[in-house]
Amino acid sequence: MKAWWERIPLRGSDLTLTLIFVGAFFLLAVTSGGSLLTPRVLLSIIIYLAVPILIGLAQMVVLSVGQMNLAIGAMGGATSGLMAVLMASYGFPVWAALLSGLVFSALLGALNGLLVKLTRLNGFIVTLATMTILLGVQYRLVRSFTVDQYPDWLKNFGQRTVVGIPYMFLVAIATSLVVGWYFARTVAGRRLLASGGNPLAARLSGVSNDASIFQAHLISGILVGIAALVTIASAPGINRSIGGDWLLPSFAAAIIGGVSLSGGGVAVYGTVMAACVLRLVDVARAQFSLDPSWVNFVIGAVVLFTVTVSEWRNRRAVARPMSVEVPA
Amino acid sequence: MTALLEARGLVKEFPGVRALGGVNLSLREGTIHALLGENGAGKSTLVKILTGVYQPDSGELVLSGTPRRFHSPTEAARAGIGVVHQERNVVPAFTVAENIMLQDPPRRAGVIDRDRQRRVAAKALSTLGVDIDLDARVGDLSVAQVQLVEIAKALAFDTRVLLLDEPTASLTGSEADKLFEVLKRLRHQGNAIVFVSHKLEEVFALCDTVTVLRDGSSVLESASLADYSQRQIVDLMVGRELAERTVRHRTVDRSTTPVLALENLSTALGHRNITMDVYPGEVHGLYGLVGAGRSELVRCLLGLDRVTGGRVLLDGEPRKIANMGEALSRYRIGYVTENRKEEGLFLELPVRHNVSVTVWRRLARAIRGVPKKAENDVTSRYVRQLDIKATSNEQLAGTLSGGNQQKVSLAKWLAVDPQLLIIDEPTVGVDVRTKGDFHDLILDLADQGVAIVLISSDLPEMVSLADRVSVLSNYRLVGTIDNSKDYPTMSRRIMDAIHETVHVRA
Repeated sequence: MKAWWERIPLRGSDLTLTLIFVGAFFLLAVTSGGSLLTPRVLLSIIIYLAVPILIGLAQMVVLSVGQMNLAIGAMGGATSGLMAVLMASYGFPVWAALLSGLVFSALLGALNGLLVKLTRLNGFIVTLATMTILLGVQYRLVRSFTVDQYPDWLKNFGQRTVVGIPYMFLVAIATSLVVGWYFARTVAGRRLLASGGNPLAARLSGVSNDASIFQAHLISGILVGIAALVTIASAPGINRSIGGDWLLPSFAAAIIGGVSLSGGGVAVYGTVMAACVLRLVDVARAQFSLDPSWVNFVIGAVVLFTVTVSEWRNRRAVARPMSVEVPA
Repeated sequence: MTALLEARGLVKEFPGVRALGGVNLSLREGTIHALLGENGAGKSTLVKILTGVYQPDSGELVLSGTPRRFHSPTEAARAGIGVVHQERNVVPAFTVAENIMLQDPPRRAGVIDRDRQRRVAAKALSTLGVDIDLDARVGDLSVAQVQLVEIAKALAFDTRVLLLDEPTASLTGSEADKLFEVLKRLRHQGNAIVFVSHKLEEVFALCDTVTVLRDGSSVLESASLADYSQRQIVDLMVGRELAERTVRHRTVDRSTTPVLALENLSTALGHRNITMDVYPGEVHGLYGLVGAGRSELVRCLLGLDRVTGGRVLLDGEPRKIANMGEALSRYRIGYVTENRKEEGLFLELPVRHNVSVTVWRRLARAIRGVPKKAENDVTSRYVRQLDIKATSNEQLAGTLSGGNQQKVSLAKWLAVDPQLLIIDEPTVGVDVRTKGDFHDLILDLADQGVAIVLISSDLPEMVSLADRVSVLSNYRLVGTIDNSKDYPTMSRRIMDAIHETVHVRA
């Protein structure tokens, strides 16, 4: 029996990411002359962490079965657009609008999963298509306006805190914990990972790979729905640009966090941590008034680097067992 | 005495192939039953039907006197049928305990009961009498340990029927012995065990009864193993139908420089010290059981995987082939792959493109590109020569019959005028007549001076075609045998070469 601390599922990359985050934070704090540490700035850093974490998790879940979801941003945009329009134009009460949005987003995820299963096409092309369709839906909903005729308390809800911690951040952390628990402890979550890790073994053990793929897309949809919820509770209004910049960060958080593109694994802590690091890149840009194109360049380069390194490590890991089988 | 599990008249067809054509099997309590047959005889298909992975097209399964139908592996497991498949069947990222319980994890309201999971897994491992850390990741274990985890997985439920498909393929001698002790204990407790193995010594030392499959039919059904000798069993397994064909006796001039010579070749995939040579006009057979490393050796030779030691000589010169393109254009080496559907053909393209793809560079003209007429000339020549049945050069390769597809994939290599042709399992899944045509074709090519490396799991085919046979076992060369073309003596010598090494390892 291992001691409890040995059983915490922390990996080397998790530790590295944590150190990078802490180091980068201190570096920023010092170079900014301490202005980073004022409560107002700290709060804004944390509030805008919620969406990157949630979309990172949404991408992670589909990656874990070897799929991907290109429609994350479009789903989030269409969902928050729907929530706003329901309140502004159709007089829905806040709770009904938000609930409808959540259900809508979950249905979009289910639709992705169903399409992948029915067409037997790669998730890449299926979600590329649904992304394009949903961009149209989003535009149809909000046109080129900013929809903001809904209660101010909702727009400001994102700023509210409990013992100094923003509600939105708590939502993201609670969601992460549930997702982590789901993959570690539930039969459904483990089956999902079994499908991703070795589809043949999963099938021979009575696990339906189709069901796993459907489930992953469905959960991804729910997580995007939560991200849309956070967005509508912290943005001054909803327009058609919402969700437009979600796609790359969603991949970046999951992949830098240590999720393999070939499926079979999740890294909840890593994804959260990677989202934090990426948020710091953004903060640094604001702090030093850097050109936004540099931020994109840096994130793109880091993703490319991480994927290359992890692929290389995978290939070495695959090559090894063979030499064990054949003693010299 | 009634059988614990009985299969009656099982038929299973896959598109284009009849994998099982009416197989019977009867398992009694307290026996170990050997299921034997050559590669492709249908053993694994039978195992998969018995365990609910496949559903039979007709026939029935009777468990303890009641007819049953298993719609999924989990149903079979719950009915007490455990299995170790031939393929690796674990999730590397999961722990030992999780893998053992993968079929049906103990749960409470959808949440895995980890304590019970560890308890049941520990019990299964202790039944096996092995000590493996339950919390270790399976990806970190050795191959033998993984194999034991798989067996524990098969025992985790209240297993009364245990099927083992090649369970000792990756075990060392002492590990295999330990497994046999466990199997004997399980037999003593009244279980029925099905044991699939190519290693006849093991089978005769362990098993009570035997069923032999050949080409999807049972040629020996649930007989007592004691009534048969190893010789008789081998004859039943391989059959004699091809022995009646007239054999062509050929002589190969081995005083010239070999087209291909390997000297103490070692590879990244695990081959060690492979030495062999192939002369112009020779058909050099490469025989071995599944997983012996034959196709893998060729892959390394062609630069698809790494060579780590020794030398490759082409026409007497040490060479390093970087990739398939270089093998083709510089050294005129053709490779007719085993998976012609996946690797050998462009199913959506016409015959014309499939044949001329290898010579496009030669046919290409500046600006005009590849003239269609030049493609057609090349294609028509080989369509005629190989007697490919196609409506025209424009017929899509995917719409040809299996045998004709195989001929197209051969034609494209002939188009480069190869000096060395590597042919991997040329006649798997083709009918008997096409098979005969193919054999004539291969020998004709050799007569024209092409050096041929022939990989085949079909022993009669090997004996009727090869001039010499190099035998691989477990990524080692265990002998190169001059082919007398006399089937009984050759099959004996080849089997001996394989079994000797198994014995040495034990």
